[in-house]
Amino acid sequence: MRKQMIISVMSKDRPGIIAGVTRAIYKLGGDVADLNQTVLCGYLTMILSASFEPEITKEDLLASISHIKTECKFEVSIKEIIEGTEDDVCRIPDDLYTLTVQGPNKAGIVHGISQFCYEHNINIVDLATTLQNDQYTMALQLDLLQCTSSIETLQKELDEYSKQQNLTLLIQHNDIFQVTNEVTLH
Amino acid sequence: MLRSDQILATVEMIQKENLDVRTVTMGINLLDCRGGNIDQTCNKIEERIINRAGNFVATCNAISKKFGIPVVNKRISVTPIALVGAGFNRDDFILLAKTLDRAATAVGIDILGGFSAQVEKGMTATDREYIASIPQALAQTDKICASINIATTQKGINMDALAMMGPTIKKLAEDTADQGGFGAAKFVVFCNQPGDNPFMAGAIHGVEEADTVLNIGVSGPGVIARALERLIGKHPEPGSLQFDELAEEIKQTTFRVTRCGELIGRAVSKSLGIDFGVVDLSLAPTPTIGDSVGEIFKILGVDAVGAPGTTAILAMLNDAVKKGGIFASKTVGGLSGAFIPVMEDAVLAEAVGEGSLCMEKLESMTCVCSVGLDMIAIPGSVDADTISAIIADEMALGVINSKTTAARLIPVPGKEVGDHVNFGGLFGASPIMPLKNVGMSSRFIAWGGRMPAPIHSFKN
Repeated sequence: MRKQMIISVMSKDRPGIIAGVTRAIYKLGGDVADLNQTVLCGYLTMILSASFEPEITKEDLLASISHIKTECKFEVSIKEIIEGTEDDVCRIPDDLYTLTVQGPNKAGIVHGISQFCYEHNINIVDLATTLQNDQYTMALQLDLLQCTSSIETLQKELDEYSKQQNLTLLIQHNDIFQVTNEVTLH
Repeated sequence: MLRSDQILATVEMIQKENLDVRTVTMGINLLDCRGGNIDQTCNKIEERIINRAGNFVATCNAISKKFGIPVVNKRISVTPIALVGAGFNRDDFILLAKTLDRAATAVGIDILGGFSAQVEKGMTATDREYIASIPQALAQTDKICASINIATTQKGINMDALAMMGPTIKKLAEDTADQGGFGAAKFVVFCNQPGDNPFMAGAIHGVEEADTVLNIGVSGPGVIARALERLIGKHPEPGSLQFDELAEEIKQTTFRVTRCGELIGRAVSKSLGIDFGVVDLSLAPTPTIGDSVGEIFKILGVDAVGAPGTTAILAMLNDAVKKGGIFASKTVGGLSGAFIPVMEDAVLAEAVGEGSLCMEKLESMTCVCSVGLDMIAIPGSVDADTISAIIADEMALGVINSKTTAARLIPVPGKEVGDHVNFGGLFGASPIMPLKNVGMSSRFIAWGGRMPAPIHSFKN
């Protein structure tokens, strides 16, 4: 059984970061499964999962990545996934909703919304925000499986919250966005 | 996750443009509900509808909440009743209508369609009894809609049935004179009537259908209008936007609207454990401001609805709607296109009042739209033969062009040109449409018999 590791890297953005990190993994016989990267304000952050032979340790991997020749320093963190624990359960949520938040920019929007989610035991699966012409827009993918309220109650509470905060909020089932934007009909 | 701009485009459609699923219509087969007499038959029909549709409204509401998209109407269509009532007389058919009305109320739906017959080639004695029952059947019920198919491209026009339509519609309006002749708004005459149309008044559960089927009607003229306005707003320079780009916008918007309908429909049918039939992607206006097909004509470039160019715009609109919808849905059916029901569309009704939209222009527009002369209030004094003859012209358009056409005319008792009629709610309001050449067609209607099927129907 191969060993799964989650690797997170942050660095000033430049060409060759992914090539360097994946070369280090490849040299150790690693196989990259999922990878997600984004660039924000000139900084790149990347999270990826890869599998290795059981004898490879996270120290080996850290050493291999540290040997990448680069002018800008990498901040790397590695986590081994231990079999049989909650860590290795990779569930795709089936009760996925998308929440959109729009309004004039002010401090505390992200915190307010994420606190609202936390208080209702809603897990934020994905989150993207944009600031344009002083208008703040957030799109969140939410897993409502463990949510403590029904969707109906949640909608009412969000309506209330949007009035208090002067924000426009809309929660819709993720399938609506999928069917209106993707050609394939699942 | 999808891109933010894609997410926001969908949000806009739901939040600002009032996207909804116009109707979820459950088709129920009644052919095996025949009992030894009228009472037994009525009992079996009531039992069948309650059994099949008991959870229908609650399920639609739950799915609508889950997805956050309103389902405006919950309706039922049944097997054309003249088939179920073979051998029954006029009074029996009125009892059948009352039974259907009772069952519709019991399950909480808005409207039930299928008080219908198909007589495009010939009529049985039962069919004649059924036609005789229509005025009272609709006057004595609240939720029942009737339709009759008197012509097809394959068989031509049944001129005997046609001759009966004028008097039936006149009587229907007169029997409901206290409601402005509203009964006539619940009766539609068809050519090439589809068996899976979820929209009223012409919904039936065709004999070719499975036992119970769910059909969806998506609409959204408002969504299309706002999408076009946005696109035009982004291109203020003259010449920077062309007609084909507007067609493309309609196609893409229809795709999105249809997809939402399909999603809701499949979820409801899965939850109820019944077959999913079709999505009917029709631009069906409502009297609500901003939910008008007439408004789209103006956005697309004519200053008055009915001005030269209106028919061409409707042709493009109807076609673009079909193209977007057909690609979006696994199974498209029903009428699928653009409706132009005058009373139900505030802008069309206004155009009648201003005199820019006349009967002749509407007739030419029905050559390229998906149905026909729909919800037109005409003077109560118009004779029955003229009404039959207007219907004959409309049927001929359908027969020759191999398309569905229909007529829903309301001769408003006691009202003439210059008057106004208001049915309220979804049925809307309109000034009375002036008609030319009234009383000039009786010799034509008196022929009876059949108009033979056109040459291009012989394809065997």
